[in-house]
Parts: sequence; structure tokens; C-alpha cells
Amino acid sequence: MTKRTPLYENHRELQAKFVDFAGWELPVMYTGIVEEHNATRKAAALFDVSHMGELMIRGRGAVALLARLLPTRLDKLGPGKTMYSMFCNDRGGVIDDLFVYMKGPEDYMLVVNAATKEGDCSWIRDHMVTGAELIDMSDEIAKIDLQGPASPIIAERVLGDPSVREMKRFAFGTFGFQGHEILVSRTGYTGETGYEMYVPGDVASGLWNELLAGGQGEGIKPAGLGARDTLRLEACYSLYGHELSTDISPVESGLSWVISSDESYIGREVLTGQLAQGAPREHVVFELEGRGIPREGYIIRRGGQEIGTVTSGTFSPTFQKGIGMGLVARGTATVGDAIEVVIRDKPAVARVARRPLYQFGGQRKQ
Amino acid sequence: MSSIPDDLRYSKDHEWVRMEDEFNGVCGITDHAQEMLTDIVFVELPQVDMEVGVREQVAVVESVKAVSDVYSPVSGRIIGVNTQLEESPELINDDPYGKGWIFKIEVKHPKELEDLMDAAAYSEYVESGA
Repeated sequence: MTKRTPLYENHRELQAKFVDFAGWELPVMYTGIVEEHNATRKAAALFDVSHMGELMIRGRGAVALLARLLPTRLDKLGPGKTMYSMFCNDRGGVIDDLFVYMKGPEDYMLVVNAATKEGDCSWIRDHMVTGAELIDMSDEIAKIDLQGPASPIIAERVLGDPSVREMKRFAFGTFGFQGHEILVSRTGYTGETGYEMYVPGDVASGLWNELLAGGQGEGIKPAGLGARDTLRLEACYSLYGHELSTDISPVESGLSWVISSDESYIGREVLTGQLAQGAPREHVVFELEGRGIPREGYIIRRGGQEIGTVTSGTFSPTFQKGIGMGLVARGTATVGDAIEVVIRDKPAVARVARRPLYQFGGQRKQ
Repeated sequence: MSSIPDDLRYSKDHEWVRMEDEFNGVCGITDHAQEMLTDIVFVELPQVDMEVGVREQVAVVESVKAVSDVYSPVSGRIIGVNTQLEESPELINDDPYGKGWIFKIEVKHPKELEDLMDAAAYSEYVESGA
């Protein structure tokens, strides 16, 4: 039985094409992936990502619990700030990647992936500390992402509050909408400026429609999971189950910077060991030099020798070429090197590039 | 509703063939197929002179999200390919029965055409959700 978000009827009215994703019936596209992708880069787009999980960690033991679970320093946070982190197991593998929202010293919200949410809850309960509690609010909260350069002006217009435009990246706050309180953060998964909005399920449809109407002049479009994937790949953001998994450590996926805590968090020994000595594999970002589209699972070679596999690949609407990310044996390929991606038994030449391919809110990194 | 011209024969894999004379046909994918794929961004064409069997994979069409095999609706020999698709794969989206043709085939057994669907049967097949 697939689940539907509170916006299901809105998507049907917009003639979305649906796809089953992590047990949810979600829009993969409305009018076309490329059109929705370009709208996000040039104007604004709206995404329904209500399938994602919202887990509340509260109480006087909240900090101790998070310090045990997260490899990232908690003092990077403050009230009204968010940060990216992950749960790792004692082998350094990743149980899930997530965003931590600090609402107060004893009040945190974790935003987690839909497919891994139940496992996350078990993991948290298995490591529960005295004075902390876990409340899964995912069924009550819908999530709408407004992304693109026109997002600030649209958010201000719809929320009727100029302070939403002034918000710094990774900050969040609460705003009023039709008599309800909604949580809005200046975050996203597209490489563009924008917001993620957490709203009560029964308010979601009203907010969705207001945002679409409010952004009409700017050229806002509803966008599906298809565009979400091409956008995050250009921005080189990891996707759990592809770049990250229980078999891939954050060091291997090029996210060593999340390992910064001095606490005795789970996986510390393996992760700090990998930081010092390197991991068996490393992450690469690449662009195809000729025609062809890399896809997940394709073999990567260098000089005819197999060195790894593609973890995600697509056709980039912005750069008009095949792009991808992969995992290769450490030291086998570095920025500027030519590698081969094996597409249907034929090697296609690709160039290892600097991450990210698409720099935040702007153009290609040189 | 997608377009289904009356003068073509259709396969269950959503390819079409238009016979130019008794033995020579032009093939592509249907309007319905391109609508399902959307945004075609890459086409891999077959080798000219290649001998193919019925429902043998001859080409690959990729949208942003998916890789899709194209099969030959009849057996025969590939006698031409639409090289324009290498630079402009979107021709399949824009004009699937015209400028978006994929390959030409010299049909080995014209009787095989009778096994393909006519426009009415294909229309029913598409509506049945295949």
C-alpha cells in the first residue's frame, strides 16, 4: 500500500506523472524534467517532499543523545540554525544522512530520508539516554521546498514578512500562514537559494497554491523528483542509497568535513582512522567528454583497468552533457584525469572534475 | 491522447513501421512512447548492414531519467539510420513519425507485418494501459 502526501490531489490537478519512491506515490514530473530543472535554475520551482521524516529529539538528555549519534560538532549549531550530518554505525558506514534543526537547547528536529526513517527510529531508541525522548512527527508534517533565484521575493510575498528575505543560509525561523505557524529554513537540495517549509498536513494544500499563484509573475513551476535528482547531481549533493550507505563511509563519499566532533560518538574510531590514513575508496565527480549518459552501476576504468563504479549519473540540462559521481579505489583518479565510463560495453571518455560542478546559486566552478 | 497515424503498423514495444514499398520500411518509436519517455537526450543508432530478427534490440533511446531499448518490429537488414538524431535527439519528441524516424530496414519476410497491429488495434492496446 503506497502512501500519499497531503498534496496528492494538487498534483493530480497539475497532471503530474507519479512514481513509487520509498513506498510513496510522488510526482516524478509535471510538464518535463528539463523544463522544471531550468525553471529552478532561472526562476523558481516548488517541490513536494512531504515523504521525508521529521523526528523530534527533546529533553535535558537531547544533547547527550545527539553527541553520541552524530560525528559533527554540535557547537556549530545555535537556536535557529541547521546543519548537515549523519548517523554512522561502528564500522563507519552511514545509517542515514540528515539535517539537524536546533530549536532550543533541549529541542531539536532531525529531517531524515523516508526509506530509512524506521531504521533511524530504531537506531535512536537503541542508543537512547536518560532524559531524552524521540517523537516521530512525520505523519503530521508536510514539507514544501521553494527553490530558485526568485524564491526570496516569492516567499516574502506569500508569507507577508520581509524578514524571510534576509534569512541567512542554514538559518530557520517560524512564520505565520493563514493563522498557522510554519517552520521555514533557508536550505535546499538544488544548488540554488531557496527555502524548505514544514507545515501541518492540512495547511499544505493552501500554502502550495499560494506559492504557485504568488510566483506566477516570476515563472514558478511545480517540479518533481526527476528535476530534484538532476539538480542535486549538478550541485554534487549525495543521495542516500547511492553515494552513501551502510557500506560507504563519509570519508569515502567525500564528506569528511562532517567528522568534527570530539565526543565519543558511534563510529569514531573507524572514521578518525580513515581521516588520518585514508579510506579504501574515494569519491569522484566527472563529466563525459563526448556523447553518452552515465548511469548508476556502470563500471569506471582508467587506462583499461577497472577502478570503480558510477553511484549516480544523468544528462545535465545546465551543461548539456552526461555527468556523474562515482566511487573509485583510492589514488586511482584525481581532478583533471581522463577516465572511462563503460556504457553498454563501450568505454566513453570522461574527465574527473572539481566538486561541485554547479556552484551554489551560480555557475560552474572553474 | 497521443497521435496514431492510420498508415503505419505498430509493435507491442511501441515501435512503428511505414512501408515505402514492398520490401523497404522506415521505423521509429510511437508518439505514446516518446510521451512516456519525455525529454529524449541521447540516441544510440544501429549499424548499417546489420541483420536483425523480430523484436531484436537495435537502438537505445535515453531520456533524462531512463534508458529504453528500441526493438526491430520485423526481421531484415538495416539499410539506413537517422544520423540527425545524434545531434538532435529531441526530434523524436517533436516529430516521432517524421523527422524523428530512427532506422530503415529491408524487410526479410513481409508476412511478419501482418503480426503487427494496425492503428485501431494499437490505439486499443495503448488505452488498455500497456
